[in-house]
Amino acid sequence: MKFFFHVGKYFKLLARVFGRPEKHKMYVRQLFHEIDSLGVNSVWIVIIISVFIGGIMTIQFAYSMSNPIYPHTLVGLGTRDTLILEFSSTILALIMAGKIGSNITSEIGTMRVTEQIDSLEIMGVNSASYLILPKIVAVVFIFPFLFIISVFFGLLGGLVTGSIAGVITIPHYIDGIQWLFYPYYVTFSLIKSVVFGFIVASVPAYYGYYVQGGALEVGTASTKAVVNTNILILLFDLILTRLLLT
Amino acid sequence: MIEVKNIYKSFEETTVLTDVSTRFEPGITNLIIGRSGSGKTVLLKSILGLYEIDQGEIWYDDRNLVEMPEKERKLMRREVGMVFQGGALFDSLSVAANVKFPLDMFTAMTSKEKQKRVEFCLDHVNIETQAFQLFPSEISGGMQKRVAIARAIALNPKYLFCDEPNSGLDPETATVIDKLIQSLTKEFNMTTIINTHDMNSVIEIGESVLFISKGEVCWQGTNKDILHTKNEKLNDFIFANKLYAQMRKEQS
Repeated sequence: MKFFFHVGKYFKLLARVFGRPEKHKMYVRQLFHEIDSLGVNSVWIVIIISVFIGGIMTIQFAYSMSNPIYPHTLVGLGTRDTLILEFSSTILALIMAGKIGSNITSEIGTMRVTEQIDSLEIMGVNSASYLILPKIVAVVFIFPFLFIISVFFGLLGGLVTGSIAGVITIPHYIDGIQWLFYPYYVTFSLIKSVVFGFIVASVPAYYGYYVQGGALEVGTASTKAVVNTNILILLFDLILTRLLLT
Repeated sequence: MIEVKNIYKSFEETTVLTDVSTRFEPGITNLIIGRSGSGKTVLLKSILGLYEIDQGEIWYDDRNLVEMPEKERKLMRREVGMVFQGGALFDSLSVAANVKFPLDMFTAMTSKEKQKRVEFCLDHVNIETQAFQLFPSEISGGMQKRVAIARAIALNPKYLFCDEPNSGLDPETATVIDKLIQSLTKEFNMTTIINTHDMNSVIEIGESVLFISKGEVCWQGTNKDILHTKNEKLNDFIFANKLYAQMRKEQS
């Protein structure tokens, strides 16, 4: 019962979020701020994680395919497809739910408990729209770019680590990442990135917007937001994979 | 002028306001006093429309808030300024940007005009130019309240609401804030409603005082009559502070 209550409240909030903005100029200004704080500030962590995961995957693929009956190109192919299909879209979204999601919940939650949201409402500002819409647009916009950056640096990490560790040669690896490439995999993952971006911004915003109490409750809401965002990402990953890939 | 007529408000099983009726006049400081949990904040938020009341009428001059469509309410809120207990300044904006925010959002002023208005408002609450670019976390509690007042008057409101504006401040700063609100009320002829449980404020600026107990209006008068009232509940509230008990003794 409580589940349906939250679902209803979430969609009611979304209806307010997509209401007509009071002044477009203010929203655009806020959007650029959010792109910078939520998106651009996440680029470094995405690069670091992707380089390491790309490298680790290459070593693991090389190890499990050390039998001479497997062609060397499988290592590059495995790394590429895992990055494109799952890591750079889904796993990255799970990581970003922790970083961006908890940031959104605590920011909006703190504004709620310090009456800043009431203050906006009394001024006649649609607080849900002003605070949440720019965040959703910013995250949905930036996620596909983060996906592309992640794939690129993941492959680069695999190339560098594989050759330094001596598990695969650079020509074999490059052959592998070009072998049996289906561009549709990229399209599929870009669609997933957009959907996950929406979840990562809107679900934590919901938890922050309706928090009641003080600092302790903001912390609890932040944890709940990350957990539920992760569950929703996995659920939608399953649904989208079933719908778009099989 | 703001008038509330027979308003009732409950949350689930708990009745918070029962048959509250009163009138708040412009140009004077109207205080709502009462113990914690007496229903002051619920009354204030009900008048503001942040809580939907169960029954009754709330009149802003000749407009009934209860029957107002949401769109009209939003427009009317631009005539309202509010000073929150904690200031509620936007953390991510500087002092000047906080005051400029409602101007950016709701006016078609040029940036020069906005700048002038910001300076005017901040000057009225005695904030020095050096503090304009500071962030709320970099200024004192008293200054935060003054900036909140400046933001509240930025759009030249007809109605000003203050929820415990001097809580957490030292007595001297609290008096400065009280006097500031009173002088702005007179200067701009606003209908000002102040929610407080600070007896110093009542004595200093209580030109009209409404005492609420358990969600009901128990007493209404001015700061001049409050020390001589025979209302038991009000006496229990006021003379819980020994200083005021002493004052009454000396006066009588």
